[in-house]
Amino acid sequence: MSTFTDANKKFQKELNSGTAALVLLSILARADEPMYGYRIAKFMEVDEENVPMMKQGALYPVLRSLEGSGLLESHVDPSVSGPPRRYYKITESGLEILKSWSKIWDQTKSFVDGILKGKADV
Amino acid sequence: MCKDVNEYLAKLKKELEGCDSALLQDALSDAEGHLRMALEEALSGKPKLSETEVIVSLIEKYGSPKEIASAYRAIESRTSPTLAVSRTKKTQSSWARFFGVLTEPKAWGAFFYMLLSFITGLVFGGWALFAGLISLCTLVFIIGIPLFGLFLLSIRGIALLEGRIVEALLGIRMPRRSLFLDSNLSWKDMFMALIKESYTWKALLYAVLQFPLGLIYSLGILFLFATSLSFIGSPVLELVFHIPLDLFGDDVFTPVWFLPIVCIAGFFLLPLTFHLARWVGKVHGKYAKSMLVRA
Repeated sequence: MSTFTDANKKFQKELNSGTAALVLLSILARADEPMYGYRIAKFMEVDEENVPMMKQGALYPVLRSLEGSGLLESHVDPSVSGPPRRYYKITESGLEILKSWSKIWDQTKSFVDGILKGKADV
Repeated sequence: MCKDVNEYLAKLKKELEGCDSALLQDALSDAEGHLRMALEEALSGKPKLSETEVIVSLIEKYGSPKEIASAYRAIESRTSPTLAVSRTKKTQSSWARFFGVLTEPKAWGAFFYMLLSFITGLVFGGWALFAGLISLCTLVFIIGIPLFGLFLLSIRGIALLEGRIVEALLGIRMPRRSLFLDSNLSWKDMFMALIKESYTWKALLYAVLQFPLGLIYSLGILFLFATSLSFIGSPVLELVFHIPLDLFGDDVFTPVWFLPIVCIAGFFLLPLTFHLARWVGKVHGKYAKSMLVRA
């Protein structure tokens, strides 16, 4: 049982490492205004079904990495009730990359679905 | 199992042992910010609940220290600082390595850092010295205490900004997140926390020292750069435009037979200048890291 759960976790982790950036870019592209990490995490909590895609804390290094690559930009604003918040916004190059990654995602999804649903003969 | 945010942070710090100190500071800052926000939301309107009672479910969502440390390590291994480029190939000849420095982004980054340090040194050092002295003088009045606290906070802001410049131009990983003080603390406790933390004083010392260092770096590198360019251009400047070399205020025309030697010396001095800039950048980056990173 434990091996089974570990294998699931490992598979989920490997999937996340590739898709987290795509998901974050997509959320920020749809957002009307810049969002901070905690709000993005809460949004994903509402949006997700069944199993959480990834731990909330794992979002932050991905956000940082996307910012480092110029796909996101950020600014810090003080908060009345707590620590200062870092607000993230998608950049022009982030939007372009999102388009191209979405295409790659569609192709991958359709390929994997095709195999899983047995559309092609082995 | 963690009983509160501080215990979680201590465990995360332990899990990230051996990692870059700037990464550690960022990870702790992200976790503290997130968990305190989540805690505040969870406890709002429920005065009977304690931090210990809700922290378990919050950590379950945020991720255990082990999981989060692993996420930071994984991402960091794929993200390098802006100018941290691959090392010079060892197969290159020593001549190629000597002149190749002119094509190295790291050397140019260090060169621009040294030039820019004229302005940053004046602004940061000037602010640290004059605003520091003024706020120290006002400490005899009651209003002086919050003023001095604000001054120390501004020094932390300067430390973060200088860190960003160091990372962008020198390619040394520096903190990307600001430090914040626990908003649950009283003003007095926040002030004491600022005073007690060695990081505040190291950042202040760094800002003050940037004043002389900035002048030395910028004037030194500018002198070497201008000298090498004037040496390289001396045959054209002297023979075609009749502009003499300016040697410490004296206008000197170089003997014609000596001009090729001066020109060649300029071609050697230029890469030497960039080697020096790269070396200074490396040493200064280590020094900045030791002074401006808290964790």
